[in-house]
Amino acid sequence: MKVSSRALPWLLLAPALAATVLLVLAPVAQTLWLSLHDVILFRPKSQPFVGFGNYVAVLNDPMFWESLGHSVVWVVVSVALQFGLGLATALLLNRRFAWRGVARALVIVPWALPSVIIGLVWTWMLDFNLGLLNQIGVRMGLLDAPVAWLARPDTAMAAVILAVVWQGFPFFAVTLLAGLQAIPREHYEAASIDGASTFASFVHVTLPGLAPVIATALLLRMIWVSNSLDLILVMTGGGPGTTTHTLPLYAFLKAWSGANYGYGSALAVVLTLLLLVVVIAYARRGMRDAPA
Amino acid sequence: MQRRTLLASTTAALAAAPLARPHAQKPTTVRWWYHFDDPKASPDALVQAFEKANPDLKIQAESIPWGGGADYDTRLYTSIIAQNAPDAAMVKFNNLPRLMEMDALADLGKHIDGWAGKADISADLWRLHTAPDGKRYYIPLQYVVLYLYVRQDWLAQKGVKLPGTFDEFLTAGKAMTEGDRWGFGLRGGAGGHDHWCSFVLGGGAKMEKGGLVSPAALAANRWFIELYTKQKIIPPSAPNDGFQQIIANLKAGRTGMTIHHIGSANDMVAALGDGITAVPVPRGPQGQGWTSFGDGSNAVLAQSKVQEAAWRWVAWLSTAEANVAFNKLSGQVTVTTSGAKTWDVQPKRFMDATVGSLPIAAVLPQTAQTADFTRTVWPQTTQKALLGQISPDDMMGVFEKHYFG
Repeated sequence: MKVSSRALPWLLLAPALAATVLLVLAPVAQTLWLSLHDVILFRPKSQPFVGFGNYVAVLNDPMFWESLGHSVVWVVVSVALQFGLGLATALLLNRRFAWRGVARALVIVPWALPSVIIGLVWTWMLDFNLGLLNQIGVRMGLLDAPVAWLARPDTAMAAVILAVVWQGFPFFAVTLLAGLQAIPREHYEAASIDGASTFASFVHVTLPGLAPVIATALLLRMIWVSNSLDLILVMTGGGPGTTTHTLPLYAFLKAWSGANYGYGSALAVVLTLLLLVVVIAYARRGMRDAPA
Repeated sequence: MQRRTLLASTTAALAAAPLARPHAQKPTTVRWWYHFDDPKASPDALVQAFEKANPDLKIQAESIPWGGGADYDTRLYTSIIAQNAPDAAMVKFNNLPRLMEMDALADLGKHIDGWAGKADISADLWRLHTAPDGKRYYIPLQYVVLYLYVRQDWLAQKGVKLPGTFDEFLTAGKAMTEGDRWGFGLRGGAGGHDHWCSFVLGGGAKMEKGGLVSPAALAANRWFIELYTKQKIIPPSAPNDGFQQIIANLKAGRTGMTIHHIGSANDMVAALGDGITAVPVPRGPQGQGWTSFGDGSNAVLAQSKVQEAAWRWVAWLSTAEANVAFNKLSGQVTVTTSGAKTWDVQPKRFMDATVGSLPIAAVLPQTAQTADFTRTVWPQTTQKALLGQISPDDMMGVFEKHYFG
């Protein structure tokens, strides 16, 4: 059977398109439908259409605005720290030293671990009574007394950010390391001949060479961290009080624990619209980088 | 004609042959959802024993993640909506109102009344297992009653007696608090409402309109919050402490008391030996008390096409020896009177504290608000009060509004 050249690409793309429609677009459409109805999971016989009622309620909900504020802190601080630590690690791993191969393999471990495991590990490391960090801090004289890191409103967010930074920096380290290895050595040699210092080489050769990789990695990680709730759920459940209550966690608790799928879906749609800014930037970047 | 009749008879006989041979008959499959606190515990041996005695039935036991109750419940609700619910499932009182609202449960009343094992379960348990509409959707399977774990060795050193009242509890807590150890391990995270109930509902608050903001209720709640903010007998980590933390802290000698049930007794004895004991949760100023009755039941789902078979399985699980074997796996207490007589799974003092707590054992209202209260409203609001972000009276106002508008 002969397939026309116009039909062939669509034929080849069909399985992927079908999977996308089934696994992405259909759930999105259902979420939109849910957000326009009053859907309480245990009242399946009564799901009245409420139009934009759930959205109006979201915008008038103080908890939404508080969660949004926490989400901004959570994303900006944790992605910035992950990037900084990841870049430093990549620069280090790009140098020659003994056991470099082992170091490169080990650095990926936090990224490979499930979030729930990381949450539990950090919960116990930060534990007030039995936690390793408090024991070390007190014995070394860094702390006068153990600190209830996860139970204090002034430290809880920092504690969960610490955990997500530990989890996420290997992504930057590995991605940026690959980017570093793609920068031609001749560029550094030319800079050296021109009398550039190490710092000047970093600013004028390394950073421009890494710029496309940095932009892509930052956008991707921002999307992932914005959507993530597992670490916070395990470590604090959004507490103490609502100190670490982020937007995806709020949507999850409303839908999953509170069985209010209408309101939870509206929260998820609002979160998606907010994220769309980042997603569009990422998509435009991808289209620009794609070969013609 | 004769030939045709013979042919027809032979065909009919061949068609009926599988039905005539009992060994070839496919057993009826019953899908059953369960959860054990210990993920290593498996009901396989029970299933095999049942299937051996009932060769016409096959039990497909499916372990469902608990996730503090929310995971299990939501999976159950979604399976019902998707028309893919199990035939029978372990359930708790707090999801009864929601399951009733979904018309998801089979009425087991007639089955229970005609069941030989009914008399082996106490009238009190049957009373607790009667739904607000008077029907019986649940069959008792296991239970626990929350009591107070106490480091009796620490109290003996201080010459302080085991607490029986709120005042004695505070005295004991203060006596045990010194250096890096605290008198009471409060569960301020999810699931900690049980602790709050013991002191606030036991101290005079009532689960009725206005009952959470009455002078007695507000006073009881202030006293409860001040255990953390003023009396300082509770570790600073309490607002975020969950089940794992309160148990680990008691076992590690960081706290002297906490509230839990007999399910953790053997673990406690392994860690602390005779130093640990249990007493009913303390009584309030007027002598009243309140402790959580932790239920565990089975239900048959209304959409099951094999309700009769599902009933036979869940009824068998609540029958004397099978129920004892089941509760050895679950770490809770048998619901059968005959099984309780020979119960030796935990040291006697913990069973005594469990039985001694029964007179004040109760459950939160069986309304749709309770699940959200225990999972979200209680921890968030209580944590804020413990941290001084809202007053104890405002905390009670939130609860009153949640339940009674």
